[in-house]
Amino acid sequence: MNIDEILHTFIAESRELLQDMEDALLRIEQSPTDEELINAIFRAAHTIKGSAGLFGLDYIVSFTHVAESVLDRVRNGELHMAGELVAVLLSSCDHLALLIEHLASGGGEPAAEIQEKSAALIAALHVYLDEGAAQTTGVVVQAELSLHGSSEGGGEVETDLWHISLRFGLDVLRNGMDPLSFLRYLGTLGEIQHIVTLLNDIPATELMDPESCYLGFEISFKSDADKASIEGVFEFVREDCLICILPPRSKISDYLRLIAELPEENLRIGEILLRCGTLTQAELDAALLLQHGDGSEPVRPLGEVLVDAKMVQSPVLEAALGKQKLVKEHKSSEANLIRVDADKLDELINLVGELIIAGAGTNLIAQRVGEADLLESTATLSSLVEEVRDSALKLRMVQIGGTFNRFQRVVRDVGRELGKDIELVISGAETELDKTVVEKIGDPLTHLVRNSMDHGIESAETRLANGKSAKGTLKLNAYHDAGSIVIEVCDDGGGLNKQRILNKAIERGLVSEVNNLSDREIYNLIFEAGFSTAEAVSNLSGRGVGMDVVKRNITALRGTVNLDSIEGQGTRVTIRLPLTLAIIDGFLVGVGSSVYVIPLDMVVECIERTAWENAGGDGRYINLRGEVLPYLRLREHFEVAGASARREYVVVVRHGENKVGLVVDRLLGEFQTVIKPLGRVFNKIGGIGGFTILGSGEVALILDVPSLVRPAVNFETKVQTAAASGLTDQRI
Amino acid sequence: MAKTILVVDDSATLRQVVGIALKGAGYDVIEACDGRDALTKLDGQKIHLIISDVNMPNMDGITFVTEAKKLPNYKFTPVIMLTTESGEGKKSAGQAAGAKAWVIKPFQPPQMLAAVAKLIMP
Amino acid sequence: MNVNVVNQQGICRVGMAGEMTIYTAAKTKDALLLAMADCNEIEMDLGAVSEIDAAGLQLLALAKRCAEETNKPLQFVAHSQVILDTLDLCNLAGVFGDPVVLTSGQN
Repeated sequence: MNIDEILHTFIAESRELLQDMEDALLRIEQSPTDEELINAIFRAAHTIKGSAGLFGLDYIVSFTHVAESVLDRVRNGELHMAGELVAVLLSSCDHLALLIEHLASGGGEPAAEIQEKSAALIAALHVYLDEGAAQTTGVVVQAELSLHGSSEGGGEVETDLWHISLRFGLDVLRNGMDPLSFLRYLGTLGEIQHIVTLLNDIPATELMDPESCYLGFEISFKSDADKASIEGVFEFVREDCLICILPPRSKISDYLRLIAELPEENLRIGEILLRCGTLTQAELDAALLLQHGDGSEPVRPLGEVLVDAKMVQSPVLEAALGKQKLVKEHKSSEANLIRVDADKLDELINLVGELIIAGAGTNLIAQRVGEADLLESTATLSSLVEEVRDSALKLRMVQIGGTFNRFQRVVRDVGRELGKDIELVISGAETELDKTVVEKIGDPLTHLVRNSMDHGIESAETRLANGKSAKGTLKLNAYHDAGSIVIEVCDDGGGLNKQRILNKAIERGLVSEVNNLSDREIYNLIFEAGFSTAEAVSNLSGRGVGMDVVKRNITALRGTVNLDSIEGQGTRVTIRLPLTLAIIDGFLVGVGSSVYVIPLDMVVECIERTAWENAGGDGRYINLRGEVLPYLRLREHFEVAGASARREYVVVVRHGENKVGLVVDRLLGEFQTVIKPLGRVFNKIGGIGGFTILGSGEVALILDVPSLVRPAVNFETKVQTAAASGLTDQRI
Repeated sequence: MAKTILVVDDSATLRQVVGIALKGAGYDVIEACDGRDALTKLDGQKIHLIISDVNMPNMDGITFVTEAKKLPNYKFTPVIMLTTESGEGKKSAGQAAGAKAWVIKPFQPPQMLAAVAKLIMP
Repeated sequence: MNVNVVNQQGICRVGMAGEMTIYTAAKTKDALLLAMADCNEIEMDLGAVSEIDAAGLQLLALAKRCAEETNKPLQFVAHSQVILDTLDLCNLAGVFGDPVVLTSGQN
């Protein structure tokens, strides 16, 4: 089952609910207080809203929300179901049906007139909401806020760790909540650096209720998450637990308040904070001194407390246990692994590819024959082949962590060479991607990392002068996003100087002097061939080869690279790559007698030419529901012989943020394809990423959408900004 | 062994989307279309978490949770209730019935997965 | 939860099996205390514990404290993976550690 099928369920279910709603609305005039009827009406709105939310269909959610709120007031007896309200609700019901049909016919942002109708009805419904209804929002006052009032006295503490104090309420376990579960979840937001479990609140044996919770935890926690996310971990127990969360580098006085607020004896808490690494000895002393007012009273040295027998654990035991656990884990995971020659895997993938092609051929024959049994059995076969394909591809997935970790060394060595102190922070190491991609991404990454260290991160003196810490930070991050893997290289260096890039680009003749490039476009100029901005050419980079090579390598992997920068604060390079190189879900289109494949995940929608030809446009772009959409005729681009078809279609494709329409003669539907690389001879042909063999034995070319999108979008930018025509046009 | 979650909602769409998301995250999922149907699924089998809508035909979510908590096998089973912003009044009734975790509708699958993961890891 | 008690000349081997959770906490507490009341030395085998939550953890703590109060030696042995994971999560390995490990650690 996939999302499209569920969308069909949703549409069918909504139609049914709306029918019920209409029936109930028509009957309610006779019996305006019938609770059953009111409930049925409410439930229809409620359910449609909830389900629409699952798909992120905001235009349905926002409209239904208002209707639901009105119905809720009816249900609570605050409003009376009378003539006018019923009429408004009936139009709302009709309108909702219209929205659902809009979704059924392909969805997308609804047309302006539909949105106007939505707005008008929302306004009409609002009349029933505003009547004396005071919205109660934002009344939840969180206990931990008291910790963050004024924070006079004491400087900031040094550590970059969060401190979390938890005292779970007695009923937590009875309510089905397991404190350990929250801790495990907390671990997914960052790293628990140190945790102290407080068992002291367990009462005497006979008084101890085994179903009550007596546990407390003090945690020092390393995370980039924001306070709201960390608080969110404990949202379900917020009401009956004591939860204090101190962000990194809080004021000493905040810790003091924390120490005072926790139920345990102050010294003991202080010492736990010390053990967690949240506070240093000096900071804690300062805090306790503060607490003692003028500090004239002698404070018991903490060293003494630490020796308190109960608190100090046997380090030997702990270490030994850890070791045993490691051995156990190692053994069990080893037993589950088989080493396989990568060539064998490639052979398997190849065969699966052939299987998919053969399967497509069989499907074609089955459709021609039209025998129901045969069709059914080929459908089952196709779905099985699809699963085989997915599992086969998964076999080749490896975590990117190994590649990332190699950079620890690079960063240390290069840092020393450059005389810069730079820390490498790695996240998303468990993100998986195809082995072939991993192998090929190493070089471009090395280049980016070196470039960041060399040109991005400033020397320690400059950093200090700019109010930054002397130590620079370089981050490598990876995550999955809609069928791609995204790899980020960020630094907290000086960022890019826009003007300098622009000057250099003008000097090199890459752009004309009169232009209206966006910041982003300017930054991305550094990926153009023959570009280098560093004034001092260093040993490592800066010879002007590099960034363009990076881009070329990534493009060769069917990926893209983008750069964002804030001057003075740092730079982020984002690489977006396909998860796998071998097989794609494609969308087949025909131009003349040729067949092309467009990667399916890039297709946004298809429209018929008649739908747009009269809607304005000057031959380079079309008006897509008010949006400027540049387009490209594949017939012209690939110089296909023959006259244009009488009826043409536009396939709207998207790459990153850019959308382009591709004009084709025929739409041939979805098709799973194995990518076969093109020979060297065809290297010069832009816009082709490979080829494949169709079930019928024909050859189809696979479009390289990013390279098709770029020139068209460049053109669009120029049209929009009405820049002078001196800009070198990257014609394909 | 995968942990089992009972999803109770009268919307088939919601059950399917939530079901797919949860299965994808490594949970086993049992579905029920209202409170009465859900009670029949509580036949002694181990259920690690219940996700239930409030407003449902036949038996509403609050009655269902109240009944479920009377059964020894499900006395301590955590419950996530699905509510709307306008359902604050229902919330206190649900709290009393033993449902402490609430997720506000409409939500998207990642929000639901996060809420579930706080209570039980896959 | 099954609490299996074998009493040999005052040394009591308590085998815990199944889930040590809130569902079984009340029964487990009673069985544990009963077993401990009846001997001079206790060895608690955690090898067959399949699931443990905070309620189970509290019972381990209770048993340990109870043993200290009555001056009876108590050893936790043969920790199952779930126990090790939980002790690791709460940084309690030192408190409920497995003494047998010391020998294997020295090898």
